[in-house]
Amino acid sequence: TAVISPQDPTLLIGSSLLATCSVHGDPPGATAEGLYWTLNGRRLPPELSRVLNASTLALALANLNGSRQQSGDNLVCHARDGSILAGSCLYVGLPPEKPVNISCWSKNMKDLTCRWTPGAHGETFLHTNYSLKYKLRWYGQDNTCEEYHTVGPYSCHIPKDLALFTPYEIWVEATNRLGSARSDVLTLDILDVVTTDPPPDVHVSRVGGLEDQLSVRWVSPPALKDFLFQAKYQIRYRVEDSVDWKVVDDVSNQTSCRLAGLKPGTVYFVQVRCNPFGIYGSKKAGIWSEWSHPTAASTPRSGGACEPRGGEPSSGPVRRELKQFLGWLKKHAYCSNLSFRLYDQWRAWMQKSHKTRNQDEGILPSGRRGTTRGPAR
Amino acid sequence: DSWGMLACLCTVLWHLPAVPALNRTGDPGPGPSIQKTYDLTRYLEHQLRSLAGTYLNYLGPPFNEPDFNPPRLGAETLPRATVDLEVWRSLNDRLRLTQNYEAYSHLLCYLRGLNRQAATAELRRSLAHFCTSLQGLLGSIAGVMAALGYPLPQPLPGTEPTWTPGPAHSDFLQKMDDFWLLKELQTWLWRSAKDFNRLKKKMQPPAAAVTLHLGAHGF
Repeated sequence: TAVISPQDPTLLIGSSLLATCSVHGDPPGATAEGLYWTLNGRRLPPELSRVLNASTLALALANLNGSRQQSGDNLVCHARDGSILAGSCLYVGLPPEKPVNISCWSKNMKDLTCRWTPGAHGETFLHTNYSLKYKLRWYGQDNTCEEYHTVGPYSCHIPKDLALFTPYEIWVEATNRLGSARSDVLTLDILDVVTTDPPPDVHVSRVGGLEDQLSVRWVSPPALKDFLFQAKYQIRYRVEDSVDWKVVDDVSNQTSCRLAGLKPGTVYFVQVRCNPFGIYGSKKAGIWSEWSHPTAASTPRSGGACEPRGGEPSSGPVRRELKQFLGWLKKHAYCSNLSFRLYDQWRAWMQKSHKTRNQDEGILPSGRRGTTRGPAR
Repeated sequence: DSWGMLACLCTVLWHLPAVPALNRTGDPGPGPSIQKTYDLTRYLEHQLRSLAGTYLNYLGPPFNEPDFNPPRLGAETLPRATVDLEVWRSLNDRLRLTQNYEAYSHLLCYLRGLNRQAATAELRRSLAHFCTSLQGLLGSIAGVMAALGYPLPQPLPGTEPTWTPGPAHSDFLQKMDDFWLLKELQTWLWRSAKDFNRLKKKMQPPAAAVTLHLGAHGF
């Protein structure tokens, strides 16, 4: 057998290492003659080795790279016949960097989940242990989070015993064989980072026969129903085959909303999410919940009518009849300039100027004043 | 204290309550549970293949190279599956089952002690999952022994398997121990499949005599 020195050393990237393999014992009279080194299964060039004395073979490695695996690089001393005499694990890497970007949220004020990012350069080549610590700001001792990797590799979950109304100080400590680093302290109040479940029971239904509308109804998340807060909601919807969502913002404290301007005869997917805004008098917005499961509904399709243009949601049957009338007019009367566009313009004008209507304009019977502007009769 | 917890776990394992023997009247016999045990060994063998692959990659070359054969130093305490063919053939049922039971009790204990702090969370999860499956195999073997009326082996005081790292146990030596643990587990699962197959054949009822009644008409 033999012994390698140093046993399981830890080294900084770029540093050098001088190692020795000393044979002893049986077979008696064993010498350093014929011994050789391998690193991670690869034989090292003989010029790196040197026989120090009858029973010792030395190795000089320079400018070491980061370890190939976190369990350590395998440096092995072999006898002439290839058998393994001794081994040593080399841990080559960097000390950890300060963890950054700590963000936390509380589900219904019952727990706290935090996430962070390891320091800028990430790869330390050594196993790095992360520990999330927290304490109440003006009193209390340090606590350590126990449940890791709940939402990704750099996360931790504190399931209970959280206090309200006093801020917490939270930080992350990163440690490996070469050293440790501590993140900046994040101070937060549980009430400022509350999120909740998505609204349950989202129902989407048609609005009578209206082709371009759907009605969305939901229930406010039950977990927070006893707490005074002004919930904010957001709705998003998309056409079945599309990936573009349209978002309806600013749906405050209602539990229903009507979507308009939709395409007839189309299937829509709808989702709702909730923000427990201003909980217990917190001045801040909370954190948006996940979106509810998509609910689907389709707008009715009327029999064969063209889609009304102009974006204005007006009732279908009136426009249809009007279009037919105008078509007839064009054929049988001399009002060749009549068009649907003219009708829309008239409607827009009606809405704008219904207080200060000027009788000179439009197709209305002209008044005493001025010339009639408008299509020739 | 992880060693204390480990000793406790190993003790619990050894003192599994003996399952009362099944009522013999009208029961299907130990056949189904022998089949189940056989199936379990095949399943575990499959699970081990992927676990070992991942673990050996974690240890790094040369551990994950095919035909890697380091010296067996600390692995002397591992229960050996390899046995002389004649000896194996001549084992009586009780001894055959006892050897299997004792082997997996030891191996499970060592696996649980495989506390590699540096392993990834995913590797730790796979190990834990495998340990649970192995625990299931132990229970299954215990069930077969109980069905056949054999008592579960009790450990002699002082021979309980403990996982001690030994004086100045280096990381490299630990890696070699891990390698041999996985190898021995693999060999045991291969052997157990043959053990339970042999038991299954012994337990099968003799083939019922088939009688043909040739009809009198026209023959």
